[in-house]
Amino acid sequence: MKSYLIVIPAYNEEEYIEMVLKDVRNSNPDVDILVINDGSTDSTSEIAKRMGVMVLDIPFNIGYGGAIQTGFRFASEYGYDFVVTMDGDSQHDPYYVRNLIDTMSSEKADVVIGSRFIGGVYRMGIFRKMGVWIFSKIAKFYTGTKFTDPTSGFQLLHNKVFSYLAYRDNYPLDYPDVNIIMALHKMRFKVVEAPVRMREKIRGKSIHAGLRPFIYVLRMFLAIIMVFLRKED
Amino acid sequence: MTFGIRIFILIVGTFIFMMILELVRRRKFREDLSVVWLLIGVALIFASFADRLIDPLAHKLGISYPPALGFLIIIFLLVIATLYFSIIVSDLKSRNKELSQKIALLEYKLNRLYSREEGQI
Repeated sequence: MKSYLIVIPAYNEEEYIEMVLKDVRNSNPDVDILVINDGSTDSTSEIAKRMGVMVLDIPFNIGYGGAIQTGFRFASEYGYDFVVTMDGDSQHDPYYVRNLIDTMSSEKADVVIGSRFIGGVYRMGIFRKMGVWIFSKIAKFYTGTKFTDPTSGFQLLHNKVFSYLAYRDNYPLDYPDVNIIMALHKMRFKVVEAPVRMREKIRGKSIHAGLRPFIYVLRMFLAIIMVFLRKED
Repeated sequence: MTFGIRIFILIVGTFIFMMILELVRRRKFREDLSVVWLLIGVALIFASFADRLIDPLAHKLGISYPPALGFLIIIFLLVIATLYFSIIVSDLKSRNKELSQKIALLEYKLNRLYSREEGQI
């Protein structure tokens, strides 16, 4: 067993999963790869198994965060030292895993978030844009660090962090956001960002496209308030 | 309230109450979840006499249109019932997640065990 585990959640990714796995393997030969098949109805799981990587099949779709958490559980149970999370749709460039690792050791961080926006721009509706702006200000005020891409699924986590997130409702079922960064800061974990290159999405459809911006903003406010209200555990 | 309306509400209320009882008897409902509905059923039966209680209460509270108080009470009860079921759904969702994650991990271990056994044969 190796000390790094790359966790790739995948929901109906039969088109891209083979390419993603080849890329990951070529660029990071010394890591274990775990695909979390989040209730796919296509042949994602079969393709991944044929490629010889480890595959966990969740019996039905539980959502992005739930799938990632399953990977954390696995990593925690099998004693991995570090987990890298990457999306299964080929938008993350696995050659940048090295960047995350270097940043972790140079910054002595517990979590490194791969950001595509250090020096870039978001494309989204005005309401959501306002929400994201306010949330990033709140997060900056609370943690003292500016986070340019808090929803990025390209992350490197230390064992003590993912072992904590692996259980109960410590990780959200849907998409983690600044609230998780704030919760980790509250737990005294050091969270930093590192620049990564992301490929233009071939399909063009963002995982956040279906989320209605209004509900998103309300939910994030609630989640952030909860970070303040909940006791440290 | 006229006598006719009283009888009508009584019949409808009793009918709904009996329906809930029957559903529980046939185990379409879990007993613990049906308690809320049975209480609502009892309230419906008594609704035919509710004006006796609500009218004086409304006057005391300064509500000029007594049925408004009746609606308010019903709305409160329904909000509480909905909240109760939302809590149950949230709890079920958490358990569902927990179970599906455990199944995924166990299946992985099981498959590994099987392939190891096959390798020995």
